[in-house]
Amino acid sequence: MVTRLGRLVAALIGSSLIAAIACGDRPDERAEPSDTATPALSGVITFGSVSLNPAREHEVFRPFVNHVVSRLGDAGIGRGRVVVVDSISQMVEELKTGRVDVYIDSPFPVGFVSKRADTNLLLRRWKRGSDSYRSVVFARADSGVESAADLAGKMIAFGEPFSTSGFLMPKAALVSTGLRLVNYEDAAASIPPERLGYVFSNDAENTLFWVLKGKVDAGAVNEDYYAGLAGSRISELKIILTTDAVPRNLVCVRQSLDPQITVALRKVLLGMDKDEEGQAVLKAFEETAKFDLPLGGPEQQLAGIMGLMQYVEEDLGQ
Amino acid sequence: MRIGLRGRFMAFVSAIVIAFGVVLTALAVRVQNDRLRHELDERGKLLTIVVATHVTDSLALLDVRQLRRLIDETLGQENVLDAVVFDEDGRVLTDGTVENPSRHMLIDEAARQHAAVSDALLVEFSGDVISVTKPVHLGDQLLGGVRLRYSRAGLAEDQAVLGRRTALVGAVFAILGVLAAALLTEAVTRPLREVTEATRAISEGKQAPHLQVRTSDEVGELAAAFNEMTRRLRATTVSRDYLDRVLETMGECLVVTRRDGTIARVNNAACRLAGASEEELVGRHCGELFRAPKGYASLFHAVNPDGSVHGLETELLVSTGEELPVLVSIAAMDESPGKSGRYVIVAADISERLRIERQKEEFITMIHHEVRTPLTAVLGAIGLLDGGVAGDLGERGRELVANALRNSKRMERLVNDILASRKLDSGHMTFHLQEVELIPLVEQAIETTSSYGDQHEVRFELGETVPGARVRVDPDRLIQVLTNVLSNAVRFSAAGDVVKVRVSRHSGCLRVAVADRGPGIAEEFRDMVFEPFARADEADRRHRSGTGLGMSISKAIIEELGGAISFDTEVGAGTTFHVDIPEAE
Repeated sequence: MVTRLGRLVAALIGSSLIAAIACGDRPDERAEPSDTATPALSGVITFGSVSLNPAREHEVFRPFVNHVVSRLGDAGIGRGRVVVVDSISQMVEELKTGRVDVYIDSPFPVGFVSKRADTNLLLRRWKRGSDSYRSVVFARADSGVESAADLAGKMIAFGEPFSTSGFLMPKAALVSTGLRLVNYEDAAASIPPERLGYVFSNDAENTLFWVLKGKVDAGAVNEDYYAGLAGSRISELKIILTTDAVPRNLVCVRQSLDPQITVALRKVLLGMDKDEEGQAVLKAFEETAKFDLPLGGPEQQLAGIMGLMQYVEEDLGQ
Repeated sequence: MRIGLRGRFMAFVSAIVIAFGVVLTALAVRVQNDRLRHELDERGKLLTIVVATHVTDSLALLDVRQLRRLIDETLGQENVLDAVVFDEDGRVLTDGTVENPSRHMLIDEAARQHAAVSDALLVEFSGDVISVTKPVHLGDQLLGGVRLRYSRAGLAEDQAVLGRRTALVGAVFAILGVLAAALLTEAVTRPLREVTEATRAISEGKQAPHLQVRTSDEVGELAAAFNEMTRRLRATTVSRDYLDRVLETMGECLVVTRRDGTIARVNNAACRLAGASEEELVGRHCGELFRAPKGYASLFHAVNPDGSVHGLETELLVSTGEELPVLVSIAAMDESPGKSGRYVIVAADISERLRIERQKEEFITMIHHEVRTPLTAVLGAIGLLDGGVAGDLGERGRELVANALRNSKRMERLVNDILASRKLDSGHMTFHLQEVELIPLVEQAIETTSSYGDQHEVRFELGETVPGARVRVDPDRLIQVLTNVLSNAVRFSAAGDVVKVRVSRHSGCLRVAVADRGPGIAEEFRDMVFEPFARADEADRRHRSGTGLGMSISKAIIEELGGAISFDTEVGAGTTFHVDIPEAE
């Protein structure tokens, strides 16, 4: 009951956010620099993002979009836009209706929208110095939990609902072991023996302390953060599951986008790390190192993800 | 270099103002520093309490993300060095940063132990850093706490800035104070300068200018007082000149002495009497000018305790060696003169008076020996003739003898009165005092005078009396007085008149009142009634039959007896003489 009400409220808030961005975008368009908004070019390219903090997201994307647009003049693009929505389902709609041209996100969201909207994978994005990442599921060393199977009847804490490494990947991995996961609001809820209850801590640090303090039996965080978070108390913890590595981010475009623009966009993105200006813009864009074309193409990168997608589709669709 | 009053006053006031400013500034800086330190400490404590209050829910829920946000906001507060939230074991949950390098670290042992047992603030000082620890409880359960380190380093800078500002304000006020001191100095010293210049003008004999009284304060009072002083000085100068003229022209000799008895000043009369110049007399001792009065070691020994003496006879030693009799009066110039005070001596030459006195003595002696003795013989002889010793002288012969006898007796009364008057003047009259009844004396006097009254058809009537009243008198002298008063009444009464005599008590005395219905005493003669040889200018021969000494002698006798004599008179209605004699107890 509570979950349904929460979803309803999230949907209402999401609609409001779209409206807010749409309205907030107009002044931004007028404020775009002249070098990126050539009056003779009427073409517009729109980048989409999913976030509950649209203002911040807008600020993150703006320099990047401006830079890209400034180099798409040959493709007739004279203006760039950023659309931030609060759910992946909404992003599917944006892509379907053509309101969003380019979508950059983690593999699970990208796989979700690719499955429902006609999109083409374009490139892989290196983020924070790595091309891929994994998640770890951990418990207290003295908890008696040795494997994923030992988590039955216990409570695990994930990070944020949108987080690939903090939620989607570890959940998919746990479900794939045969565990049946049930979402709870209260970490102290009573869990049936055959189920694995989970709560969202909304923060990796929260997840760590909840496990250390015994508020939950296990937790899942990005492997890159685990050692740092555990610090001197790492000996008190035990990793019981490590997921497969997935690409950090993937870039997809709607299929109906002008192929000339798609080609030009791929070229611009692949060349951004080749000059200082592009490197600076990439660094400011969530510490992106570069865009590249992975071995076997992005489709191969996404293939493994799609196998796990069934376990988290419901979560992604919320 | 000599610094004037103005400079000294200005320096003094400026020094006071600056010293006051420095002290006030120092105090203000100190107070402000204390206040800043106190405020900083209190702010640190308050901030810790506020943060602890805000983190309670998140700490209870172990929402480290929310705790991180709260501490991140706390780190943005001024002077906060660092802040952490720790759990019940004293391990850091978050230091407010994403990296959170303090994570899992144990906080200070003392703070940890404090949090375990207390809910109160723990404040620790270490150099410029204040560490404030606030344990957070939920009911009785210790959740953990907040530890905040607060820097006092900015305090020194704030204090320095505040100190500089205060010093600047102090300096501005000091400058203003010095300017005010300059104005004050000018306001105070300007009238003084004017007074000084005016005083200098007076000392140089110039006319003192009139000072302007600009204010009503002490300075204004000074100017007003100076103006008043100059006015009085002018008046005093005039008075002194006038006094000098009076002293130099007065007939009496004036000598002013110093405390050591030497002469400080003499007037012209003193120089004239002493036969010496002022230069010769000034500086000499007073004892070289005046002989010591009889019975005294020196002139000053005769001075009364009040510093004065009057009517003292002595001699002035003239430069020629003569001694000039003088009547001296002395007055002290000091309030407590003693024997070594300054005195003013006024001496009058009485050599002429003494000469007249001697001539009067010689005259009285002459009357006594050369007039009274032969007169007694004449009276005896005439009495014998009148008694018929020489046989019947015939009618014409008896008339001549009676006339000679009457005039001889009158001459005898005159001589006796003159001698009596002289005795009274010289104090040689003898009184035989005894306590007697008054009324018999009055009756005896009336009886004695009755024959004289009969001669002029005037009778006496003794009215109200005080029976048994007694007086202490010389009865003969009192009868002499009463007889004189009664005969005087007869003398001014018309034939057939009655002279009324009454005796009554009056102001502790017994009063004998003798009233006639004569012409009264003229206004212009009333003051001379008791003077010797005084007689009204009356045409009636009978009125001139007295010697003119009677009332004078009567007054002298009554006063010797302790009484008084007076009169009431009304022209045309008569005169009443009152003889008052003290009643014996």
